[in-house]
Amino acid sequence: MADKTIVITRFDPDKDQAPRKQEYKVPCEPDWKVLDAINFIKDELDGSVAHRWSCRMAVCGSCGMMVNGEPKLTCKTSINDYGDRVDIEPLANFPIVRDLVVDLDGFMHKFQSVKPWIIRAKEKAADPIAARAALHPVKGTYSQSADQLATFKQFSMCINCMLCYAACPVVANEPEFLGPAAIALGHRYNMDSRDEGQGERNEIFRGEGTVFSCSYANECSEVCPKNVDPAAAVNQAKFGAVIDWAKNLVLPRGGA
Amino acid sequence: MRAFLLKIEPLIWLMFGQGILIGTMLLTGWILVVGLLIPLGMVDASALSYDRAYALATASLFGVIPVGKLVLAALLVLPLWKGAHHVRSLHVDFGGAERDGIVGMLLYGVALVGSIVGILAVVGL
Amino acid sequence: MSRPAHPHAMAPHTPGRTRTAPPQMPSTWWSAPRIRNYLLFDATGIVYYLISFLAIGMVQALARGPESWEAVMTRLRHPAYIAFHVLCLVSVVFVAVRFFSLFPKAQPKAIGPIKPPPGPVIHAMLYVVWLGITAIMTAILAGVIF
Repeated sequence: MADKTIVITRFDPDKDQAPRKQEYKVPCEPDWKVLDAINFIKDELDGSVAHRWSCRMAVCGSCGMMVNGEPKLTCKTSINDYGDRVDIEPLANFPIVRDLVVDLDGFMHKFQSVKPWIIRAKEKAADPIAARAALHPVKGTYSQSADQLATFKQFSMCINCMLCYAACPVVANEPEFLGPAAIALGHRYNMDSRDEGQGERNEIFRGEGTVFSCSYANECSEVCPKNVDPAAAVNQAKFGAVIDWAKNLVLPRGGA
Repeated sequence: MRAFLLKIEPLIWLMFGQGILIGTMLLTGWILVVGLLIPLGMVDASALSYDRAYALATASLFGVIPVGKLVLAALLVLPLWKGAHHVRSLHVDFGGAERDGIVGMLLYGVALVGSIVGILAVVGL
Repeated sequence: MSRPAHPHAMAPHTPGRTRTAPPQMPSTWWSAPRIRNYLLFDATGIVYYLISFLAIGMVQALARGPESWEAVMTRLRHPAYIAFHVLCLVSVVFVAVRFFSLFPKAQPKAIGPIKPPPGPVIHAMLYVVWLGITAIMTAILAGVIF
């Protein structure tokens, strides 16, 4: 058991002009994650500390915070990887609601704006007669091969923890930028063999929140706790947006 | 201006990508010999005497493909776009998003002028 | 040195529901090694800009005739130019190493039926092409071949 000084950013919108720092002495057990230390503070030392957390197993994506200046899932980060003084701040690049809690509204809006659902020009109905007649019956409405799944599966593993937004230098400086997770999600649907919405999404990708604002710092991929590799998605999306742009130049409205 | 930049962004990004890829590939040997080995006397200056330099620049393959001029044109033009795009993103990284439109136009404008001047110089050889 | 992010970074779509503190950039926004490498990578843009203009001037001198060409070649012996070219060489090698490591995963997973080779193969190919072109350029310019 080692005593550590945990420095928490405090901000009470009713009282504080600006965020301030508060120190707590915490007896850290060897197997503790950073989240355990924050929960100890909340339970034993100061019940007024506000922070988000839920699953404690790196799937819910609620407990992202800055630990010593780097965005981390606090439930996945051992407190003993750090020295005697650990600085815990709310996620960078987000407006701070209270203490370690940030405002998600802007993120949610960006997330939805890439149309993260399957878009079909025309719904395909299951055709049992054709399926029965075929030599290899089609199972389900939209079948997909393992190869087709592999082109985007990695990008669908995102847990919306927003660490990539806290790490991205472009998100910090350019409010319009769609950001890593949203572009990765849009790209995930663009790569989906069942989807037909590439044209719409590529227009969004070239629009106000343009994917070309990304300057490939690769920080999003470095901090991603689920190895989604958003930087790969964003830069593949640039290729897609360019190819789509060139196609539109040669054949306006997709040749229709 | 930002609206205009958004329109040409895919084209800029293509030029930028070629600037990094082809620009870097061509510049390394150029810097090594023209900028360092010859001025430092490690390679005899006669290697790039006027006659030899001119012959290299106007060299052609099978008498039809002007390899010398093509390589020179790529070497002069592409790094400009890599430069413009990176300086623009550096400016945004240091908090210049509000001026991004005008700074971008200026940087790409200089790159465009440089490209035209460079290509005219190569063609005029 | 900490610094605030853009005041509207990740601003709520429907503002004013609650009072918030303005967004801050990570305290290590320029000092963390990874970020510093990234900022240096962007900063090489300045060097690429300058080397292009220098090379354009050289081609113009070549077009003007022997005297101006020899004058340029003499000027390049000045220590300031040598120092600049050392900076250029460092920049170009730095760009190559960083860009080649980032390039493979940015490739589309498939262009129609064509699948690009796996990442490590692209990575190795880039190095082979880069070193090959550099060797050939060096040999030609230095008068070893042709």
